[in-house]
Amino acid sequence: MSEAAALEHHEPVTSTGIPNKKVLMWAFLGSDCMFFGTLISTHLIYRKISATVGSNFLDIRDIFDIELTSFSTFILLASSLFMALAVSAIHKGNLNSTRWMLFGTIVFGVIFLACQVYEFTHFVNMEGNELTLSTYRGEPHVFGSTFYVLTGTHGTHVAIGVFWLLGWLVYSFTGKMSTADALDIECCGLYWHFVDIVWIIIFPVVYLMEYAF
Amino acid sequence: MAIESLKYVAPDTGVKTETKTFPRPGQHASGLVDWLTTIDHKKIGYMYGLSALFFLLVGGLEALLIRSQLWSHNMEVLTNRQYNQMFTMHGTTMVFLVIMPLSAAFFNFIMPLQIGARDVAFPRMNTLSLWCFIAGGITLNLSWFFTGGSPAIGWFGYAPLTDTRFAEVIGDMGPDFWVFSLQILGIASLLASFNFITTIINMRAPGMTMMRMPVFTWMTLIVSFLIILAFPAITVALAELMFDRTYGTNFFDFLEGGKPHLWQHLFWIFGHPEVYILILPAMGIVSEIIPVFSRKPLFGYGLIIFSGAIIGFMGFAVWSHHMFTTGMGVVATSAFSILTMLIAIPTGIKIFNWIGTMWGGRIRFDTPMLFALGFITMFMIGGFTGIMHSSVPIDAQHQDTYFVVAHFHYVLIGGALFGLFAGFYFWLPKMSGKLMNEKLGKLVFTLMFIGFNLTFFPMHYLGMIGQPRRTHSYNEGHGFETWNQIATIGSFILGVGIAIGVYQFLSSFFNKKLKAAGKNPWDARTLEWSLSSPVKEYNFSRTPIIKSRDQTWENNYGPRDKHSQKEPLDDHGIHMPDRSWCPLITAVGLFVMVLGMLFHQSIGPAGELVRNYTVAIGGGAVFVLGIILWSMEGPGGYHLFPKESEE
Amino acid sequence: MPRIINRFSLITAFLLTWLVLFGGCSRVDHKQSALDPKGLVSQNQYDIFMLSVWITIFLFCAVGGCLLFVLWKYRAKSKEESLEIPAQSHGNSKIEVTLILASTIILVILAIPTLQGVVLMNRVPDPNKTETLEKLGLDRSQIDGAITVNVTGKRFFWVFEYPQYGIVTANELVFPASKAVRVNLRTEDVIHSFWLPKLAGKMDLMPGQENFLWFIADKEKILSGESEADAMPAVFDGKMRQTVFAKQKFTDEFEPVGGLFYGQCAEYCGNSHAYMSFRALAQTDDDFDAWVELYQSSQNPNLQPATYNPETDYATGDTVLFPDDSLGEGATREYRALKEIAKGEAPNLSEQSWVKKHSDDYEIGKQLFSSLQCVQCHAVNRTGIGAKGPNLTLFGLRTSLAAGWMRNDEESLAKWLRNSNEVKYGNLMWNGEGIDDDHPLRNLENEDKVVDQLVQYLLGQI
Repeated sequence: MSEAAALEHHEPVTSTGIPNKKVLMWAFLGSDCMFFGTLISTHLIYRKISATVGSNFLDIRDIFDIELTSFSTFILLASSLFMALAVSAIHKGNLNSTRWMLFGTIVFGVIFLACQVYEFTHFVNMEGNELTLSTYRGEPHVFGSTFYVLTGTHGTHVAIGVFWLLGWLVYSFTGKMSTADALDIECCGLYWHFVDIVWIIIFPVVYLMEYAF
Repeated sequence: MAIESLKYVAPDTGVKTETKTFPRPGQHASGLVDWLTTIDHKKIGYMYGLSALFFLLVGGLEALLIRSQLWSHNMEVLTNRQYNQMFTMHGTTMVFLVIMPLSAAFFNFIMPLQIGARDVAFPRMNTLSLWCFIAGGITLNLSWFFTGGSPAIGWFGYAPLTDTRFAEVIGDMGPDFWVFSLQILGIASLLASFNFITTIINMRAPGMTMMRMPVFTWMTLIVSFLIILAFPAITVALAELMFDRTYGTNFFDFLEGGKPHLWQHLFWIFGHPEVYILILPAMGIVSEIIPVFSRKPLFGYGLIIFSGAIIGFMGFAVWSHHMFTTGMGVVATSAFSILTMLIAIPTGIKIFNWIGTMWGGRIRFDTPMLFALGFITMFMIGGFTGIMHSSVPIDAQHQDTYFVVAHFHYVLIGGALFGLFAGFYFWLPKMSGKLMNEKLGKLVFTLMFIGFNLTFFPMHYLGMIGQPRRTHSYNEGHGFETWNQIATIGSFILGVGIAIGVYQFLSSFFNKKLKAAGKNPWDARTLEWSLSSPVKEYNFSRTPIIKSRDQTWENNYGPRDKHSQKEPLDDHGIHMPDRSWCPLITAVGLFVMVLGMLFHQSIGPAGELVRNYTVAIGGGAVFVLGIILWSMEGPGGYHLFPKESEE
Repeated sequence: MPRIINRFSLITAFLLTWLVLFGGCSRVDHKQSALDPKGLVSQNQYDIFMLSVWITIFLFCAVGGCLLFVLWKYRAKSKEESLEIPAQSHGNSKIEVTLILASTIILVILAIPTLQGVVLMNRVPDPNKTETLEKLGLDRSQIDGAITVNVTGKRFFWVFEYPQYGIVTANELVFPASKAVRVNLRTEDVIHSFWLPKLAGKMDLMPGQENFLWFIADKEKILSGESEADAMPAVFDGKMRQTVFAKQKFTDEFEPVGGLFYGQCAEYCGNSHAYMSFRALAQTDDDFDAWVELYQSSQNPNLQPATYNPETDYATGDTVLFPDDSLGEGATREYRALKEIAKGEAPNLSEQSWVKKHSDDYEIGKQLFSSLQCVQCHAVNRTGIGAKGPNLTLFGLRTSLAAGWMRNDEESLAKWLRNSNEVKYGNLMWNGEGIDDDHPLRNLENEDKVVDQLVQYLLGQI
């Protein structure tokens, strides 16, 4: 089959000139914005009142490890750079470079996830300041609920992104990868950047704000 | 593009042209395999419609039980818990399993035809959305058979009644089924909406500019945007509720720091756009029907679309009018009150424009038109009572009484359902290729119109003299009996009307005596009426080049320069994609995963809580497997060479 | 053509039928009718409602008339006509803009009283602003003398606490007809909604949040020409209960009792949500004060009958507790002094000086009330203790039973005690924490004597 025909099957001419998959991805991201918007609002609504619930006054700064989170934020941002380079490389047809950039993105994504797993286990087991899904210092508390569910949902998004990228990495070794896949990788990149941007909102809203106000 | 045409096969040999990593059922699949693996938007539309009509009968039966219980004071047709389950299931079923999928059936079937597309942008995703919807419907109704029976929490599931702390049956699983089924249904709606948005934005035929699109397609687009922006709110709310119920988080547990108020906000941020998600498709249908039966173009096309968009947009700004009595304070209630009144303006514009369309026309009163007119009048009454509720002091009396029940049934039955029935009578000839019996259709309309008004008009009065909603019984001496009896009689008339209507829809596919519809039985205006009835698998043998808004009408009556043209047929024919098992596998995986989540908890021998995720993980694995196979199965497909006349 | 005439006349006949039917049921003073406002706030809500009704009737007639006219005028009168092609006009922006402006103006007409109404509902008028008071037709003393009631909703009954007077009652809210009533709304479980249609509209009881609502009855409307004693029977001396029983047999068509208002939980709260109603009883100032005084003395622990003390003199009417073995071993009963009693004249010595205050059944019922564990949840003659269930102080003065669902007479009470779950499925008295099939409450089905004694005791609370 000729490449032109293949192209036709993959990407029919569209009314706007934007490929279907990209429109789909943008629509999904718009929807996901509302999803994270709702989760972040939930957290913000509860943030103030959660300090006064129960007999224990909760100063979240006692729990957070801001250095670690800053580090993982930096890592996630850096992964976005790799992702952008991967997309640019596949557009140019540079398979080797694409492979390495994908690999870099995955490694940084995994480091971020590892930081988050460490953070969660650390908070849950922190001597004297245990913060679980439903309790703080063994007493009912709502901060754990909003914090873990919000950051956990973001972590799940990152994990899905990592698996998606892994799929591409594996695919790149089958020898079938070509510039024809650039669009699909670009969509993957859109998702990855979006997840990063969400973290750029979560980091100040959930973490930094506790130090400011 | 006409290169290497020799590589393509001759007409109808069915020989595959492309190698595939994973085989897909091909052109000649038939019977059950055909329906399980189809990716044809028309067949998906049929299945959406058929299952939604089934659920319409289920939800209707629940409604009749409710009405029987309210026949007189202190009736014992149902126990109070059964009654509470009935209204919960009735509401949830009618909103999520009837009106939304009925709209989706029309979106699927009609919208691609209206914009001159051969299918939606992502046909397999479309199939997945259908199976997710069916999985959601099954999940919800499975609840009848497990601990506690169906949910008895209302379709709104207000916290903290949904909290395990306040469960009235130990280990009540009803709310869990409710939560998970709504999540799956949400996935179905989201997938479908992404698909429709992409299709409408990207797959219009040449010349089909946005301002030439039929109003129904416009409403599809607006509703799809509403769905993708509104559903995340309830997805999060349901997830939080699921965490509360299963893992002991405190989102809505006021005794441990949560706020039940939050549930209401999240629910109605979704719930109010949802109201427009339910009504806008019907408005789109009516906007198609009235011009056809008046033989005039739609009056104020731009304004109708603009007002639809405004309604959709403002739908996100008025959610708190469902919460006027929750103590939000003077400022918030006043603001939401005024915003809600404003929404009456774009709604009024639509009604003015429909009347304007009829003005100076040649009005025919065929069944679709009767339903459309029923829609306008009934929706008008529902809209007026809606304006009343936007006023906080009035709402302080009306909230949670039968007045509100009357209001939203006028909007959802008199509005949405009448609109959808109008759509059935209008478009079924296009789907089945046969004209339906007009007399029977008019009988259905009469029964439904009379039954509906008998049922719901007295409820205004009942609400005003003090009958509260969601109460399974009322005491003697309130003076409720007479009007409730009229309502109950009306509901049975309405039920008979709907049942005959559903029978007529189904039989129009099998009844051999019906007359053939031909391409354009109503002398209608939009693009789908230029196709044969029933529509061929490939929709358009050659993609039309659009020159005007009401293209079929212009082709018949317009000046020559407004007639549509056709793109030349490529010499490799029409590429048709193969069928696929993957959407079904994925949906089954999701269904099993949800069942696994629902039943993962058990009580161990020592009375401790045991969590077993085996089934859920297994289902998740099937789900992921489905997606992997999906991405591996490759494009596939076959080519058709229709003759010029076969369209 | 005749077919079309038929259709229109059908529709017209249909609409007319409705009008006639509704004209026929002109009675709007049903128990919970919002169409029969008897207070300032509800009158305001009613007025705005009627304004909106007239606006919408006008609009419906205008738009509907226009629609009918168009359908009539432009109908295709024949097969040929239905094939004609009329002028293909696409719209007219002048008409559109005019109609948009017109609808905006109509909304403004509704919006202004709405905003005023919101303020009125949420805020008790400032007594210092004479202008406002005059406009509302209120007297300063009506606001200054306002009473406060803290309402707590529970599944499925209501607790009414009067913080100014330190008393707690349940399911029947007694209030002075001439004074404003501030209502603070709380809940201990799920969401409920306090709906008093004839006086105040409704407000939800939100967990973890205190909501507010106020109302003031319109005394003139309650009296409607009758004398105070007839129109607003007093609660404290049992007249209200007698009047309600005499006028309102539960099975009869409703006959209004002045000062008696019906309320209902309006937010779905679980199994027996339908049964969660309540009553509000308007009183003259004097009757209200008398009721408060009676209630206060009943709930004052210092005024409860003490054990007989031979070292004390007793005045006429004083009540003491004295052992009476005929009621059971170690049992006591209440005796009332018939005259002034000197030291040492114990109740068992002189029947001329002391009289048994209650029947034997009452006294046994009182013991049963403890021994059957009723006191675990219900407080009688005290506040606070056993707050799980409704406070039953002065229960014999109440007009209703089971949160306003039944008439509070012997028969209903006995039925309730025998099997409350049958009457009100899901209620906490039957299904509450720690109540199982072994609980004495669940085994009263055939205990006629015990039930009767409990009934005597409970209805004897006057």
